[in-house]
Amino acid sequence: MTKLIIFLALLPFAVFSQGYQVNLQGQAQQGMGSAGSGFVQDAAGIFYNPGGTAFLNSNEASIGISPTFANATFLENGTSELARTNSPVGTPFTAYGLFQLKDSSRLKLGLGIYTPFGSTIEWEDAWVGRFALTRLQLKAIFFQPTVSFRVTDKIGLGAGFIWTTGSVNLQKDLPLIDQDGNFAHAELAGKGNGFGYNVGLYLKPTKHLVLALTYKSQINMELENGTATFTVPSSLEDKFPSGIFTSSLPLPQVATLGIGVQPNDKLALALDMNYIGWNAYDTLAFDYEVNTESLEDTKSARNYVGSVAVRLGAQYKITDKYTARLGLGYAISPVLDGYLTPETPDADRINYTIGVGYTLNKSFDLNASLLYTQVEREDTNIETQLSGTYKVRVFAPGFSVSYKF
Amino acid sequence: MKRHIYFIAACAVLSGCKPDLIAPEAHLGDIDVTTYVAIGSDGAAGYSDDALHSDGQDNSYASILASQFSLLNATDFNSPTVSASSAGINLDSNSRLVLGYKTDCNGETSLSPVRQANQGDLSILGANIYSSGFNNLGVPGTPITSINMSGYGNPANGVGNFNPYYARMASDQVNSSILSDATAQTPTFFTVDLGEADIMKYATGGGMAPQPIVANGAAGIGFDGTLDEIVSSLAINGANGAISNIPNVLDYPYFTTIPFNGLTLDADRVTTLNNVFNPLGISFVEGDNPFVIEDPAEPFGVRKMVEGELVLLSVPLDSIKCFGMGSIAGIPNKYVLTISEIQNIESARIGYNSAISTIASNHGLAMVDKASLVSSLNDGLVYNGFSMSTTFVTGGAFSLDGRNLNPNGQALLANLYIESINLTFNARIPTVNVNSYPGIIFP
Repeated sequence: MTKLIIFLALLPFAVFSQGYQVNLQGQAQQGMGSAGSGFVQDAAGIFYNPGGTAFLNSNEASIGISPTFANATFLENGTSELARTNSPVGTPFTAYGLFQLKDSSRLKLGLGIYTPFGSTIEWEDAWVGRFALTRLQLKAIFFQPTVSFRVTDKIGLGAGFIWTTGSVNLQKDLPLIDQDGNFAHAELAGKGNGFGYNVGLYLKPTKHLVLALTYKSQINMELENGTATFTVPSSLEDKFPSGIFTSSLPLPQVATLGIGVQPNDKLALALDMNYIGWNAYDTLAFDYEVNTESLEDTKSARNYVGSVAVRLGAQYKITDKYTARLGLGYAISPVLDGYLTPETPDADRINYTIGVGYTLNKSFDLNASLLYTQVEREDTNIETQLSGTYKVRVFAPGFSVSYKF
Repeated sequence: MKRHIYFIAACAVLSGCKPDLIAPEAHLGDIDVTTYVAIGSDGAAGYSDDALHSDGQDNSYASILASQFSLLNATDFNSPTVSASSAGINLDSNSRLVLGYKTDCNGETSLSPVRQANQGDLSILGANIYSSGFNNLGVPGTPITSINMSGYGNPANGVGNFNPYYARMASDQVNSSILSDATAQTPTFFTVDLGEADIMKYATGGGMAPQPIVANGAAGIGFDGTLDEIVSSLAINGANGAISNIPNVLDYPYFTTIPFNGLTLDADRVTTLNNVFNPLGISFVEGDNPFVIEDPAEPFGVRKMVEGELVLLSVPLDSIKCFGMGSIAGIPNKYVLTISEIQNIESARIGYNSAISTIASNHGLAMVDKASLVSSLNDGLVYNGFSMSTTFVTGGAFSLDGRNLNPNGQALLANLYIESINLTFNARIPTVNVNSYPGIIFP
């Protein structure tokens, strides 16, 4: 029975997220390739650079949503049959509030609530990788109370404390068949919390140039009282006891160097360079409270490497009311060859984005954006030996409303 | 870029946008699969769970190959199938094995292979079902010298020269041979899987049967001459084919499940046994001890097993647990392979495999390395998240008889055939998803 060790492969990130930075945290920024640490123009700066929000001069509340259509297709090497995902639409949302105690105050208080992960990948029934994964759902909400301070007219500093709460639900089939021909099934569900911080420095040496430096700390999501549920043939129930498991998932640190350039009142350019500390994701371990000869604790090598992403965006104010945006991002995958999984069919990728802003009146701004990316990668997973090509296509339109007062 | 823009526009309207991947076009390369004929024994026939039954037949590597061929070209592959509802049959008139609960002599109930029915389906061997010629000529238990034996389906020829499984499918019980039935089809493609049955007959009988046929000699006398005659007959019209070599059958669960030192003793039993055996120069200790086996060469006709010797799965376990077999009484020879018997098996296998590889290369056949598949299984093999091994039942690749592959194992083997055929004949026949074939069913 020891050969029936369940390979539990749980990746903390949604299908299209390049690491921690899903970067669907602000419609204006999304339109600009998700660059924004060096060009803070609204309350989404609470996420992108809390140092930059010190330079905004109004109270602001905004909400936004980015319905995400992410789908993957798999072609096993040597075969002609495709397996597809039937993933539901993801709904990452954002809510930001930014307040100053008095007009032109150097101190700003802010609160950001956002969902850096929040999608589900679900493979079609009976697909060839059913013993690796059938479904992974991940939800996480980040709460970030933030303080920013304009030290001088050229220097802004900001810091936010992050508390996150999330849940994971991972399912796969097991190679055990009952009398009715059904495969056994494992479901691991857990809730976790984590703490971290987000700090930013915003330097504005001239009115045309901004240099930005931000750092988001690593957050360890601890799943303490996860529930493992095994549906197995009755003769094997004592070998696969449903019960408690613990695990943890690192959400890696991100350091960003950003540049913002505003040659004139109409045009703005933003460049972000991220280093993402994916090397923290070295091993994924599951510790079951009750072990049997068939159900042992598992440790799966992930061996992620630190990765880099570059994001470039441009914004042009066509009229007082209309703003157009365009962006491009390039991100290097942290997943090494041999470690690609159906949870995260990740690859080096180019993101294309466009966006538009509309100022309704003095109080209301509307923003919309669209992200598109497609990747394709072939790999043979060392652990499961699943061998083939994944193709992933993501299409994420988004919309937000801001109210200034 | 333009395509991307159109695509985004389409996506904006539809919510799907599922990406497509295009597989390289499948084709048959240099082979013609119009008439595929399989020559072999248990494996080709799909004999498993210690019986011939429909699940096994439908999922033999030969059946799987034929259905993959037929994706690309109409392929004749007529099989002597039994009814899907049948409990199957073996030569002892037993039904197939299934997993069930069994209570042993100590009153302990555990999960164990049990017969699906009190008796096998006698109708399977009761009638000849030949109508228009079978393409799957895999006949369980057929040694290589029987392939070209006329009258191998004739009950009058008696044990050894007659096989009931062939009798039910022979075109002419008295005059036809497996080979003549094969060549009568005029095959355009063939597979050959021979020699393992010869070795298994000796091995599963505990080395009691005559030694397997010698590796070298003329047709009917040596393995290589006999095989060359068979392959030459099949290839006579220019047909291409594939041939598999012979794995180390001693890695099969049939030989590895019961440890040689499985005699576990407490202090009282040690005293009792030592009182009996010490005068014979045999002593026991608390804990694990090698079983006692019959050995006519020893002065007292018994001795302890030595490491490397094997107890077969056929040994009656209740006799061991409750009635002193393996301790007070030696395990009979037919349930044990001794070192010298193991050496006979290995040297036969080496000789056969050398002949197979020479003949494969002389005739331009695709060589299927079943030996390396079994060796990988023995080390533990992961297929798309499924950990498979040679472990009995839970290894997932062998059927409940411990000596024949189950459908998952057969599908792995079929993929090996396909890969070798693709490589040898410039084909691109799609492999199958092993995980979609039935494995062992648990109650």
